[in-house]
Amino acid sequence: MNEVSLLHGYLTIGALLFGIGLIGFLSRRNMIVMFLAVEMMIQGVSVSLVAWGRYHNNWDGQVMVIVMLAVAACEAAIAMALILMVFERSGKLDIAFWQRLREDNQPEYVDRELPPPEEEARQWPQLSPAGVEPEHDPEETAFRTHV
Amino acid sequence: MSPESWLYAGATVLGAVGMWLLLPRPGERMRWVGAAMSVVSLGLILSQVSALGDMLSQSMFIVIGSTTVISAAAAVTFRNPVYCAIWFAMMLLGTAGLFMIQGSHFLSVATIVVYAGAILVTLLFVLMLANPRGNAPYDRVSWEGPLSATAGIVLVGMLTMTLGGVLKSKSFAADMPSELIAAQEAQADDQADAAGPVNILTQDHSASLGARMFSAHLVSIEVAGVLLLAALVGAVAIIAHSRAAQPEEAKSAAQVAMQAPSENGRDR
Repeated sequence: MNEVSLLHGYLTIGALLFGIGLIGFLSRRNMIVMFLAVEMMIQGVSVSLVAWGRYHNNWDGQVMVIVMLAVAACEAAIAMALILMVFERSGKLDIAFWQRLREDNQPEYVDRELPPPEEEARQWPQLSPAGVEPEHDPEETAFRTHV
Repeated sequence: MSPESWLYAGATVLGAVGMWLLLPRPGERMRWVGAAMSVVSLGLILSQVSALGDMLSQSMFIVIGSTTVISAAAAVTFRNPVYCAIWFAMMLLGTAGLFMIQGSHFLSVATIVVYAGAILVTLLFVLMLANPRGNAPYDRVSWEGPLSATAGIVLVGMLTMTLGGVLKSKSFAADMPSELIAAQEAQADDQADAAGPVNILTQDHSASLGARMFSAHLVSIEVAGVLLLAALVGAVAIIAHSRAAQPEEAKSAAQVAMQAPSENGRDR
């Protein structure tokens, strides 16, 4: 296998993952999706590190990725605890809610053309019909002997 | 500008517009147009990667790599955060496959176990606790979609263009073997205690990785352990602090309630 081409391909994939994660972090407003985007950027860097380790034929790239895994796990624990606490206070996962922490001289961000929440079509449970009323024989109903 | 530069510029423009169309925003989104433009851009960028020389490896790399990137794009552009998490899991599987192609089997398994097994499940727990339905208004708008899409894709375009320029130049490929040999010799001198030359594609992969990790990188492992402990204590402290605030208020309210009858009794 051509080692330089392998390195090229992996660095390209790493750059793409990093860039897409950057787009997600900059543009999304849900805190959990922002966290996912950060993890995606970490994955991009991991892919690049493993590729460089393979190219230089040493273990250090992979060891560094293992340390990054540990850091990512710590980050996930702290981020989840913070997000849960923040969610308890505000009741939403919207990062824009926390603009109230801004300085006094900063203008407030006002949502333009915020869409109204979509009302889901309620699907009420329906009982299946327990049975179908049979055809009545008019003669039997008129001359029923046992009633 | 050379033809390659035009190609990268076209891929950047296509990718930026495609990602902007994919990002959530109110009104008609034209997501299929955006997806098609992004895929074309990805194809243009991947077409500049020189062939691996081996048909099987090449097709495996293309399939797994494009799965990873497409899942990544889906993970940041879906409106429902649950779908985002599921596409993120797909991206993790793709990354694990990429690691497997590189011969780093341990990392491949560790990625699936740690990320998909632990982090993603925790994340889904939080998501389900918080907001299982994806119809919140803030999930359906983006901060400055065109600007952020342009920023990210321009970064990608510049990185890939530089990579293509550097890695495809004749001097880099020609310089490589001697440099590699020198690096390997330096490494062999560096780790005189290690038996034999380094080969990261060896059969006993995990054993060699562990030997390297617990000899040369022992301090990093210790630091990672301390970091994990600190994160554990920190997470518990954050949650316990927010829990402790409520009993405090409840206790003071109870004290007020206790004091009120006694005052009444004293009055009597």
